[in-house]
Amino acid sequence: MIKTDVAPTLAGGPTLIPTDMPTTNRPMNMGQSMDDNTSRLDGVAKITGAAKYSSDMLLPNAVFARFVRCPFGAANLETVDDSAARKVPGVIDIEITPKACTYNGQPVGHVVAESPVAVNRALKALKLNWKKDSVKTSIRDTKQVGLLKGNAPDADVTIRAVYSTPVQTHSSLETHGGVVDHKGDKATVYASTQGTFSVRDGFGDALSLKGSDFEVVCEYVGGGFGSKLGGPGKELMLAAKLSQKLKRPAYVMCNRAEEHLDTGNRPSSVTSVWLSLKKDGSVVGGEVMTYGGVGVANGGGGCNVPSGRYTFANVNKSHEDVSFNAGGPRAFRAPGRPQGAFAEELMLDEAAAELGMDPLALKRKLAIDDVYREMLDQGAKLIGWGERKANGSQTSVMRTGFGVGIAGWGSASPGGNAEVVIHPDGSVESRTGTQDIGTGQRTTMGICTADAIGIPLSMVTVQIGRSSLPPGPGSGGSVTSPTTAPTMMNAATQARTKLFEVLARQGGDNAADFTVKDGVVLKRGEKFLSWKDACAKLPADGVMGSASTGDGGKGNSQGVQFVKVVVDCETGIIYPKHVIAIQSCGRVICRKTAESQIIGGVIQGLSYGMFENRILDRNVGAMVNPNLEWYKILGPCEMPHIEPVLWAHGQTGVKALGEPPTIPTAGALACAVFNAIGAPVRHLPLTPDKVLSALEGARS
Amino acid sequence: MNSFAIAQPKSMSEASRIVSDKKYSLVVIKAGGIDLIDHLKEGLIAPDVVVNVRRLQSDKELIKVSEGEIRIDAVATLADIVSSAALRAACPALVQSVENAASPAVRNVASAAGNLLQRPRCWYYRNEQFNCLKKGGATCFAVEGENRYHAIFGDGPCHIVHPSNLAPAFFVTDATVHMVGAEHPSLPIRYLYHMPDKGVRSESNLPPGAVITHITCKPVKASGFYAIKEKQSFDWPVAAAAVALEMDGNTITKATVCAGAVAPIPWELRNVAGALRGVDVSNDAALTKACAAAAVGAKPMTDNAYKAKLLPVAVKRAVLLAAGKKLEVES
Repeated sequence: MIKTDVAPTLAGGPTLIPTDMPTTNRPMNMGQSMDDNTSRLDGVAKITGAAKYSSDMLLPNAVFARFVRCPFGAANLETVDDSAARKVPGVIDIEITPKACTYNGQPVGHVVAESPVAVNRALKALKLNWKKDSVKTSIRDTKQVGLLKGNAPDADVTIRAVYSTPVQTHSSLETHGGVVDHKGDKATVYASTQGTFSVRDGFGDALSLKGSDFEVVCEYVGGGFGSKLGGPGKELMLAAKLSQKLKRPAYVMCNRAEEHLDTGNRPSSVTSVWLSLKKDGSVVGGEVMTYGGVGVANGGGGCNVPSGRYTFANVNKSHEDVSFNAGGPRAFRAPGRPQGAFAEELMLDEAAAELGMDPLALKRKLAIDDVYREMLDQGAKLIGWGERKANGSQTSVMRTGFGVGIAGWGSASPGGNAEVVIHPDGSVESRTGTQDIGTGQRTTMGICTADAIGIPLSMVTVQIGRSSLPPGPGSGGSVTSPTTAPTMMNAATQARTKLFEVLARQGGDNAADFTVKDGVVLKRGEKFLSWKDACAKLPADGVMGSASTGDGGKGNSQGVQFVKVVVDCETGIIYPKHVIAIQSCGRVICRKTAESQIIGGVIQGLSYGMFENRILDRNVGAMVNPNLEWYKILGPCEMPHIEPVLWAHGQTGVKALGEPPTIPTAGALACAVFNAIGAPVRHLPLTPDKVLSALEGARS
Repeated sequence: MNSFAIAQPKSMSEASRIVSDKKYSLVVIKAGGIDLIDHLKEGLIAPDVVVNVRRLQSDKELIKVSEGEIRIDAVATLADIVSSAALRAACPALVQSVENAASPAVRNVASAAGNLLQRPRCWYYRNEQFNCLKKGGATCFAVEGENRYHAIFGDGPCHIVHPSNLAPAFFVTDATVHMVGAEHPSLPIRYLYHMPDKGVRSESNLPPGAVITHITCKPVKASGFYAIKEKQSFDWPVAAAAVALEMDGNTITKATVCAGAVAPIPWELRNVAGALRGVDVSNDAALTKACAAAAVGAKPMTDNAYKAKLLPVAVKRAVLLAAGKKLEVES
């Protein structure tokens, strides 16, 4: 391995990419994991382009297709004239069915051609006669949401407010879709998916093949966050149809605009609440009415408030999903949670302000268990909560604010399968079909295998992301590691036992006499053979261990996040400065990828809190920002110092880590802004216009 | 994207001849190519010839700073401007205007002339789906639609904001644009742009066939530029201001103020210039009051009244920078 602290240069010369770059800036996490130092195994392949994503699969003789989509929120496609489009050189076929559409981006057909350029030219040459209809583009277009009446009779303080969150589109870096290469009696499907096996099973008869006659391949995924769960999406289904029909590979990937319009989103929410508290901070009554903005869908807009992480007595909750003319929701990293946590954390800070309490003290009191309280105490020290000034007490232009929020996540593991093969040359293959959606699955599988056997990771080759490998779970609900880690460790342990059995047979010993430590095989505690020499005694096929398990990690992951911001009170611009993200996730397998999950969750949460917003033209229902220029996301200049803290105290098993770190961030951010400026901003994203309006409200 | 020919002229004059050649239906100039690629990708233009002028320096020095004049080549990149210590010393506003523009990658290729002539970022104009006034349609969709980033000055009929940061900075330093292929070889920057009612399909008054070779302006040591952006990484300003001052000690004796991102053209704020005369820049209350004049006459649309609150702040901070003060704000 190459050790270096210096950023490597890729221009000419050897590729100097450190594979074990030290991250000494997070000493609190050292020693908390099975592997503290390994960087992700495919990191070099990913940044050099050697890793081939499904969208990179430009197969020889492929055809390319795109959907023809409704440009408005509501319109009837009355007539189609495709004569000019069909004359575009390279166009193979055009299929369009006139119909009434109810959202911008809704497919009405497709164009297939010899090249992406020909597809785009044909799309431009289509003469489609759309008759526009009136549109509704938000929850508030449909529902009058006002303040709720009521209060608990014994309350000392009752707060009443309405909170809202925007639609957050998925917009994966690698867009949705894939390639189908149908060869008549067999096929290969290159999918960008979170579920290699759910894609295989989801084709049904669409490929006219048995599931065992085609392979789904997904070695790398450029972002999913829930939107690539389940069976083949409409893009892959189209590719399947075209590849069969034309007997050529078919490539169908969304472009950036399509990605925003029609691949799912975190639904918008409106939360109206009253909450009654006693002087000591106990919640004695309340009502929460939430609405989920689900576009053309009929459901899926849940807004998780009250979250159950705080003790609320006598608080009633009701929810309603509201449909309008826009693309519908899809699972999005902790569905329903960030929008709920935003309302919950900010309403508690507002209550604390009314009570004259420190919001940390209120949340500490209301948190349902001592794990949260310990985390809150620890986090308060790390962020420097003692420097927090009372709400609205600052008069300078630049004002500092502190906020805190908490998170929880529980998931049941669906079960999975794994195989480990030990070869006579000492190499070890670790196999499971589950995909790596960027979380580090490939790396954790390698670490589990190496750790269970007792050999260096460099001896292990990991194979993942193929439906021909042992089936594993879809990556949703933060179940991948909790399911696959124990399964892979069982398989590795079994393979190792088989090696011991071979050694025992050859020397007249018992398998139980052997063990492996640091790549050396020990017999009754004494050095016996090097790993290589021991494996050389195996038959030519080596030995294989396999395991199936449904019993992955269970139980809750918990977390708290503290956010420190500086707000420019003349411009309303928020500068996040520091985030402490404490997170439990059971036993940590790979420290760096675990930290990376937490950091990524914080970044996504801040981006949601500060910028992300699907903006639909209110008159025609078309998205005006289906790009990454005006659909703003957090950039490098906004990035605070983020400190992930792996909470090891009392932790066993492997538990959920993917989703919880993005739950509390936007809420904690909003609380920090409230603290800095003295007025709550109750509607995400926290853009300067809203911050300035809140400041004016506070002054008047 | 359609096929097009690339022309690689040897000089700006030759570039101008190609642009003027009537046998082509649409010829466009490419320097950095940033805005051009955006247009091609969205299908807003379909040129048959793209004339690459990126390497055509009109002088061996891209940036020349002398006693009474600054000369910036048309193809100098924003990064060239940012990295010129002489320019920063002689005329800070020019450097400040682009040092946080776009991203480092864009600044490394985007040219000075391209920055001045880039088309507006209006999301209706940039979206092929909306046949707006600027594209020959009948409607400015922003009026009844989504206008949070649109103009707060001007009477329409189109409500774009001028996107260039360099333009207001050049405006307050009395810049002149020099060109080949035009009857008059130079044009003061204050006449480079027109309001939408004088022609909605274009923004600049550059004569057909003209190609900018360089820009000159006067060095103004007491100049400053400040942009307010929602996002500090790669975002467009929601309000920006360039200021050039003449000072007697701490007191402003003369000011020129020009705003960006609030009107269809670089928007001169004469009332603010007048209000600033005689103001002591160390007197915060007096300075704030004078700068508040920036919002006078603003006609916000449904969603952009906040820009009228931000503009006076941008002006005030630009004044402080011009006066050599260090801003006590985040950046």
